[in-house]
Amino acid sequence: MRTKITTLSLVAVGLLVLSIPLFAHHGSAVFDTDKTVTVKGTVTEWVWANPHCWLLVDAKDDDGNTVHWIVENQAPANIANAGWSRSMFKPGDEVLVDVTPGKNLTTAARTIGRFKGRVVINGKVFKP
Amino acid sequence: MPKPIVLALIASLILLTFSPILRAQTATMHADESAAEKWNNDPFDGHARTGGCAPGLPCADPSFYAGKKGPPPRRDLSGIWDATAGGGVQAGGVAAHPAVYPGDTPGSEAERKRFQGGQPDEKGVLNPLPYTSAGEAALKANKPTGQSIRAVPSVLGTDPVNRCDPVGFPYMVNFQFLVIELAQTKDQVIYLSQFEHEWRIIWTDGRELPKDPEPRWNGYSVGRWVDDYTFVVETVGMNEKSWLDHAGRPHSKDLRVTEIFHLLDYDTMEHTETISDPKMYTQPWTAHKLILHRQSPDFDIREMFCSPSETAAYNKLVGDPINPESK
Repeated sequence: MRTKITTLSLVAVGLLVLSIPLFAHHGSAVFDTDKTVTVKGTVTEWVWANPHCWLLVDAKDDDGNTVHWIVENQAPANIANAGWSRSMFKPGDEVLVDVTPGKNLTTAARTIGRFKGRVVINGKVFKP
Repeated sequence: MPKPIVLALIASLILLTFSPILRAQTATMHADESAAEKWNNDPFDGHARTGGCAPGLPCADPSFYAGKKGPPPRRDLSGIWDATAGGGVQAGGVAAHPAVYPGDTPGSEAERKRFQGGQPDEKGVLNPLPYTSAGEAALKANKPTGQSIRAVPSVLGTDPVNRCDPVGFPYMVNFQFLVIELAQTKDQVIYLSQFEHEWRIIWTDGRELPKDPEPRWNGYSVGRWVDDYTFVVETVGMNEKSWLDHAGRPHSKDLRVTEIFHLLDYDTMEHTETISDPKMYTQPWTAHKLILHRQSPDFDIREMFCSPSETAAYNKLVGDPINPESK
């Protein structure tokens, strides 16, 4: 039946869409795809824009210093399908996010990565 | 005055006093939801994601595309159609010939190699393309970014789309084939593409394709119905600035693209695309065969522009610092 086939193919495609992130501009080569870093901190800004959405988080390192993280995702038209929205993060939200870090983090003021797995906002796990 | 009436009056007064607040409160609580329903729709909108969907995956409830079922309208493509669910996002190159290695699955060695990028050619790739020697040379001259085996960091990439040049045709259906809107007049099919907000015209007035066309990003398209449910489009005259797909596949100005829009039922359309470019490829080949799903007629397509200023802002903050060429 068409609906059954559609469901299966949609799930399969869903897997494919998320396992092949777009990141047209730089690809995965600049991210350390073998590593996962868990960033815990406070949201300072959530930018919902083309070509990428990105989240600014102030986290604390082991010495208690503030580390400014930038965590990116794809464009709104891509991630809105997976339940992400312009309003899901607000400045002041406490978040925990799993991040694939960039390989070349030359900017002293910032650490940069992209969303990888868990997203927890004010204690609630984000489930699309 | 009898007690029940007094009580009723007091109750009414209280209700009257507080009801505007109640209404305002309700309106505020639902404002975002109602706004989201009417505007900036996505193919898997809200209600479609409830129940039965694995966390983290875009999900469509089987009933989401239920629509009217039954036969499609005759000789009418008009509507809002989503290609995302059917595999429209082709980040590693065209769906039928992605530039990936065989066995490329999550966590595999082939996937790791693809993430590394930087391969010099497409040797060993799944479903290789029949390049001529000119085609092979042109491929190597293009430096793609993204998710194909030859992808490079953006500072080295040469994809015109990455610097907000027009997407062009057929790249607009070969990379992010998302939502489209089709409208029909007596002489045209008007094709609106969500990806980077582009449009093209398919002439149905019987005119012939131009013989020596001035090259255009989207070329020149003519279309005709071969039966009540099958619409065939030919496009020529595409300039050589645009790429064929996100893996940097080339085309010459002699490229001819054939599309078949085939209505399967009221809610489902199949889009097949064939590439013919004897300069670059020794024989024609099929780029994809994708299923498009009809969306509700009140679906408001989310805007997606490539803005040079927004792209520059992103590159300054994120894109450039993470590139290995950055100082």
